[in-house]
Amino acid sequence: MLLRLAGVSKRFGRDWVLRDLDFALERGEVVALLGPNGSGKTTLLRLMAGLLKPTRGRVEREGKALLLPNPPAFHRRLTAREHLLYDLAFHGQGGDWAWALGRFALPSDLPLAAFSSGMRKRLALARLLLLFPDLWLLDEPETALDAEGRGLLLEVLKEARGKAGVVLATHDRGLAEKVADRALFLGEA
Amino acid sequence: MRRVLLLALRDLRLEVRDRTGLLSLLSFFAVMLFIMALALGPEEAPLRRAAPGVLWVALAFMSTLLSSRAFALEVEEATLDDLLLTPGSKEWIYFGKLLFQLLLLFPLSLLALLMAAGLFYLPLERGLPLLLTLLLGVLGYASVATFYAGLLARLRGREALLPLLLFSLVVPVVLASVRATAGLVEGLPVAEVADWWRLLLVFDVVYVTAGALLFPVVLEG
Repeated sequence: MLLRLAGVSKRFGRDWVLRDLDFALERGEVVALLGPNGSGKTTLLRLMAGLLKPTRGRVEREGKALLLPNPPAFHRRLTAREHLLYDLAFHGQGGDWAWALGRFALPSDLPLAAFSSGMRKRLALARLLLLFPDLWLLDEPETALDAEGRGLLLEVLKEARGKAGVVLATHDRGLAEKVADRALFLGEA
Repeated sequence: MRRVLLLALRDLRLEVRDRTGLLSLLSFFAVMLFIMALALGPEEAPLRRAAPGVLWVALAFMSTLLSSRAFALEVEEATLDDLLLTPGSKEWIYFGKLLFQLLLLFPLSLLALLMAAGLFYLPLERGLPLLLTLLLGVLGYASVATFYAGLLARLRGREALLPLLLFSLVVPVVLASVRATAGLVEGLPVAEVADWWRLLLVFDVVYVTAGALLFPVVLEG
């Protein structure tokens, strides 16, 4: 079992965002997280990553988790090459950053301040592919991507399947139907 | 160790590319020294007497601003989560952020020393003992400042809270640093000043150790 949530609840102040949630994810599974705005998708991803502690319940995780936030977080004054090199070093990994940037058609020596939001999303996918965590937590990865970018996203998800577990928060039911083995609906009784 | 060095060098690179942060720090620091010199001058004796205190007030301000800056780099870009999701324990983030500050603070301390020599008649004949005092004092102050800056990184009003929280813990470091500097300026033998150095060394070891051990706990969500 890659990820298990047992009776997880999360409260911010007086507001309960999640209540008594049970969930399990096996390696090789892709699960879509669906629900309206404010239903707790991002909170749940952050709980799964270990960036938040549940108010009640337990989160158990095996292996390395990475979160692709929406929008992706990067240092604007670094170039894509520098960012990937630092990421690899911080994770104690090696990897072919030039191949990753080439695959996503990204310039290596342009500061990220000059990147469009779609290019930043592509870079986040390149980063995920390079670091290849056991648990991929993706928050609306399809937003800001053009048709070619969406194609790349589908390819990346295909590569993740089988080797890792993926939880994909999205508003795009079409994408969820295309890539997910099952779906978890939040904000519904 | 490699991660610590790379994080410090990456932050240094970001800071140098930003320019505005460093320039505002330098101009604030220079204006502060000039105003103090104008307020206390022009006679040599009062300026020389005030020099150790003024020097350490300037260094304390710089360290506080830099520690806040070290985490602002992550908060502004929402990249702190990426650091927290790296494998293994998180002490390396503390050491990386501390090293980043020290790499900036040591040259700035030298600059402060030279400016204090020019404006406050601070004698530089005892350069090496003065440098040792700077090294020990700056390390002690920055180790506490880094810890609290990390603790407050995700809170609103962190800039206002940081100096308030820092004050109580850094009093011994500032006092020992000022006394050691004053002793050197007054021409006391090194053996007498060494007591203050030993005290600073003890605080440095305690603060760096406690900061590194507690840092992963305070960063948890």
